[in-house]
Amino acid sequence: MRYEYTVETEDLAKYYTMGPAIVKALDGIDLRVRRGEYLSVMGPSGSGKTTLFNMIGGLDRPTRGKVYIDEVDIAKLDAYELAWLRCRKIGYIFQTFNLIPVLTAIENVMLPMIFAGVPREQRIKKATELLERVGLGDRLYHKPGELSGGQQQRVAIARALANDPAIILADEPTANLDMKTGLEIIGVMRELNQEKGVTVITATHDLKMIDVSDRIVYLRDGKVERIETRREIAIETEEI
Amino acid sequence: MSTPQHMEIGKISLPFSEAFRIALEDIRRRFVRMVITAASVILAVGFMDALLVLAAVGTIVGGQAASLKPFQLWILFISLLVCVVGIMNSMLIAVAERTREIGTWKCLGALDRHVLLLFLIEAMLIGFAGGIVGWVIGLITAFVYGLQPTIGISEILQALLTPGSIAVPGFSALPSIIAMLVLSMLIAISLSLIGTLYPAYRAAKLNPAEALRYEV
Repeated sequence: MRYEYTVETEDLAKYYTMGPAIVKALDGIDLRVRRGEYLSVMGPSGSGKTTLFNMIGGLDRPTRGKVYIDEVDIAKLDAYELAWLRCRKIGYIFQTFNLIPVLTAIENVMLPMIFAGVPREQRIKKATELLERVGLGDRLYHKPGELSGGQQQRVAIARALANDPAIILADEPTANLDMKTGLEIIGVMRELNQEKGVTVITATHDLKMIDVSDRIVYLRDGKVERIETRREIAIETEEI
Repeated sequence: MSTPQHMEIGKISLPFSEAFRIALEDIRRRFVRMVITAASVILAVGFMDALLVLAAVGTIVGGQAASLKPFQLWILFISLLVCVVGIMNSMLIAVAERTREIGTWKCLGALDRHVLLLFLIEAMLIGFAGGIVGWVIGLITAFVYGLQPTIGISEILQALLTPGSIAVPGFSALPSIIAMLVLSMLIAISLSLIGTLYPAYRAAKLNPAEALRYEV
């Protein structure tokens, strides 16, 4: 079944208490992300990007409001169902790559498939294909420590796609990479977004991301400041 | 908005063979740390075995069943306790070091019990290795002790090969040296598991969002 919106949030809020103060990391976010959309969430550090990432990814519980993934309210899922959701529906990409250091590239990509119960032969085939797709066909048996940052991030992208998720969540995927490598990673993510129709949501303050995004959400102090679509950005650029 | 449960929730699994392979790989990569963790098991088991051998020699020489004296039992108990605390300490550090990794595991679909399983397998492997090495060290210690004129090497050998000279319940039919190996392994694996239980539980219960935020 296909749903128009892969991700929806309703009045989503997350407050942290730090001593006597209450920090409103997110404060009433209403967001609808269409299937296959490439959405960038921009904002200065501390604006709530990572918190939003954690909420949509089912990694943390909101203080208030709802998150729907494929029209399912994830607050209603128990621990087992949440783990399944993370495994099958969502692919995560991190600023610090977060590969499992003791496993090789191909083993890292196979890991989500182990949890999903994919048979071994199929795992190897799929992981090889994915790594070839991100340009690491000759690095299958290297461990993360033997790979450059850009290569590690490519492995992470392949791993995120292992179970054909509906959504890729990327938290500052280019922040630890140099300009050129960052651009390459953004390119790969955009290509896969179009090829596989996977929804991509990235939290970023990398301006390079603007060119490939269908929509950009600007966060400030835990609230949506404004939303720009691709067309508006194009017009703005022409005016300049 | 009404929310019909469209999503068909499937199964999540981590086969034991895969978990075992990953745990083994972890131990290989963090070998020095694991040796240090195992050292406390080795010392405790070695000490226990040396005491047992000497008691067995007492049995052979004295002609009647000799067992550990109360003060020996007391010291043995303390040494095993220290061993558990040592393991717990290193495992807590290992969990702290790997907090972000555990967060990543959970993002990929790991359940709490999978994280628990990984740490417990590692503990069992450490206990297994520690038990064998501790047994060897215990024997060596006993033989070194046997070099003094009051006891002889031959008495020690005899004590080790006689079934029942060390009372290990259920294994009294085996030569003492084998019974002692079995006992050493059981004790070592138990110590390692007991020491790892709490750290592993903490690792399993980590909130993924907080774990990912964790800075080492």
